Amino acid sequence: MNKNKMIGFTCAYTPKAIIHAAGYTPYRILPIGNALDLAGHILHENLCSHIKRVLDRALQNDIPELAGLVFINSCDSMRRLADAWKKVRPDHKIVMLDLPAFKNELSISYFAEELLRLVNTLSEWSGDAVSLKSINNSVKLYNELESILDRLHVRMQSGMLKGGSEKFQTLCNLASTQPLQQTIKLLKTLVTEPEFETPAKDGVPVFLFGNVLPDPDAYSLFEKCGARIVDDDFCTGSRLFKPLQTGGPEEILKYMAKSLFLNTPCARTFDPLEPGKIARDIINRAKACSAKGVIAYTLKFCDPYLDRLPMVRSILQDASIPFLMLEGDCTQGSIGQQQTRIEAFIEMLR
Amino acid sequence: MILKHFENMISGIEAKLKKNPEGTNARKKFALEIARLGKKIYSGGERIAWCGVIAPFDLLNAMGVTSCFIEFVSSNLASTGSVEKFLESAEHSGYAIDICSYHRAVLGATIKNQMPMPDFMIATTAPCTGGLAVMEVLAKKFNRELFVLDIPQDESDKNIRYLATQIENMIDFVADRTGKPLDPSRLRKAVENTNETRKILKEVFSLAQHIPSPAKGRIFSGVVPALNLFLGTDTTIKIAKAFRDEFKNIIDDNKVDISNEKFRLMWLQSRPQFKTTIEQILEKQYKAAIVVEELNDITWEPIDPENPYDGMARRMISSPLNGDIKKRIEQFKNLAQDYRIHGAINSCHWGCRQGTGARGLITESLKEIGVPVLNLEVDVIDPRNFAQGQINTRLEAFMEMLGTRPSPW
Ligand code: SF4
Ligand code: SF4
Repeated sequence: MNKNKMIGFTCAYTPKAIIHAAGYTPYRILPIGNALDLAGHILHENLCSHIKRVLDRALQNDIPELAGLVFINSCDSMRRLADAWKKVRPDHKIVMLDLPAFKNELSISYFAEELLRLVNTLSEWSGDAVSLKSINNSVKLYNELESILDRLHVRMQSGMLKGGSEKFQTLCNLASTQPLQQTIKLLKTLVTEPEFETPAKDGVPVFLFGNVLPDPDAYSLFEKCGARIVDDDFCTGSRLFKPLQTGGPEEILKYMAKSLFLNTPCARTFDPLEPGKIARDIINRAKACSAKGVIAYTLKFCDPYLDRLPMVRSILQDASIPFLMLEGDCTQGSIGQQQTRIEAFIEMLR
Repeated sequence: MILKHFENMISGIEAKLKKNPEGTNARKKFALEIARLGKKIYSGGERIAWCGVIAPFDLLNAMGVTSCFIEFVSSNLASTGSVEKFLESAEHSGYAIDICSYHRAVLGATIKNQMPMPDFMIATTAPCTGGLAVMEVLAKKFNRELFVLDIPQDESDKNIRYLATQIENMIDFVADRTGKPLDPSRLRKAVENTNETRKILKEVFSLAQHIPSPAKGRIFSGVVPALNLFLGTDTTIKIAKAFRDEFKNIIDDNKVDISNEKFRLMWLQSRPQFKTTIEQILEKQYKAAIVVEELNDITWEPIDPENPYDGMARRMISSPLNGDIKKRIEQFKNLAQDYRIHGAINSCHWGCRQGTGARGLITESLKEIGVPVLNLEVDVIDPRNFAQGQINTRLEAFMEMLGTRPSPW
């Protein structure tokens, strides 16, 4: 059933297990590659480069054959991407799920209904009804993948993963684009490889967070500047792979909705009962990994972060946590331009 | 400082209205109500809620809360020529110039203690992600409770139910904070007023569609979004009637000259809120009139007083700034047809992802029905980079091109 078909997705909140249960391989369209910069003419220059580069890939046929796409209504730019996609790739089927901006009982049950809408849509697309049992099984498989990735992440955090954070990002990119079973097999082999005997201790421990940073080379650039990334939080990285609760097939959608919300949210999802919580979460993460400083790498024109980062900076300042804000455009080059600032920040932390 | 501005505005308009009570006064009456609302918000002593643009203002008015969307402040700062220092203040505090200037101005005003402290805040997830984020930031700065209405993308039954339930929860939230539960008779009256306003505004729109149109210059600019703030009250009815009667008189008395309306234009997004000569140039040099703005429209059906929350939910979801672009493009096409439009101008307000992000699709779709679009690329709040000379050149090229085309109608 649909063995070789892929379904594209672009957001970390996408319920990959449902796509998998429908017999498709979820394929994250990462904003990477060498496609020319053309999307700005269709959209506008002032949209984030995540959106623009993903559309560039569609425009220039730099994506595998897709049976359809699952978009998440995560931000204004994502909605515009879905609109433009319909125009430039009319051959693709598209569904866009609403994602509430916050979690409470009502929004979780609403999101569970959206997940059910996805189940029905994919059943229609594939011609086979997707059962809750198969979703439950797919969740278990994803949880297996996530637990292996987590082990590798822990290894990376202690400096004992061969290849470091660059390697870890390469694995995340693989895990979000390749068939699930194949990735699990590969990761299982990796996890049995001997760990480094002497963890890398040089490098100043930093917590790195932001929206989108899929380029593995970008991580090594940070490390070249003297940083040791002891934890990170990106929607193209560890945020994509968090364990989901199962609770049995009958309630699987409700559990999925709940756990997708429970997992570290990106800035577009927040808690109205505790405005500014994002800053507290960052502080907790930074402390938990004993980071000496925090670096934010966010894409230009990303409103969820742009509007909140000054607030985050002032809360981190109050907590005496050194903070560096970097803005880029998904390319390693844009980080390279800020190398001196990164080096100066790391020097200051030493 | 802002309070003083509203007070001066009130006394100035009142004096003018007194001097010439029979003149064309609808715009002045509208401006007077805006100034009175501004004064109310800035004077203290009222229950104030800062809100998202498409909050259910009729419901909040029925609950006795003076409610206002934050962008109201930015528009006023821009129109009085005092916005720059607030934008600069936000930028000095780390807010990027790529953030929508409607929000940068509000952030700057907050930093400079020029945003009155609200009692609570009601955010809406539409029309924009940036607006929602800024509401969170303000709630943190003001240390005030925040209620968020999560607006789904389309009008499915499930979505209506979801939003209607949130609206009911919002009523509890507000009542808990004001200590006053919602009075069903006030709600019914508010809904009736909303429906009456809708009816009169529809009449205003059909008068504005007349050839030649009475809605020239800036006479009707930005009226409907601002009137939403008074929804449910007698004020909206009064203002809507003033425009209806004035437009009717203009048409009946043949006060507009058809020869001055060679081209009829539609404006997409907001017009610059600071002073420009765009309208004068269009009208004088090119005999072109902006006869409709996309935001001066009503996209919702009357609200059933027996089941008001579903109707309010439908109204919020129906905003063309919410959901996919198809809906907004349909609205443009309908407006183009109803108003017999020859060309459209899209401000492409810098910083508005949801608005400008569809620039290419909008241009293409309107071209399909024979309506060319000029993408002006201006910031409608921040005047610092506004280059009238360049704008004039672009207007000239656009109008020349329009002159060479057959009318689509
Ligand atoms: S990077 Fe920001 S603006 Fe871009 S898609 Fe993600 S959340 Fe939206
Ligand atoms: S212009 Fe756009 S980004 Fe700015 S407030 Fe309006 S909808 Fe939001």
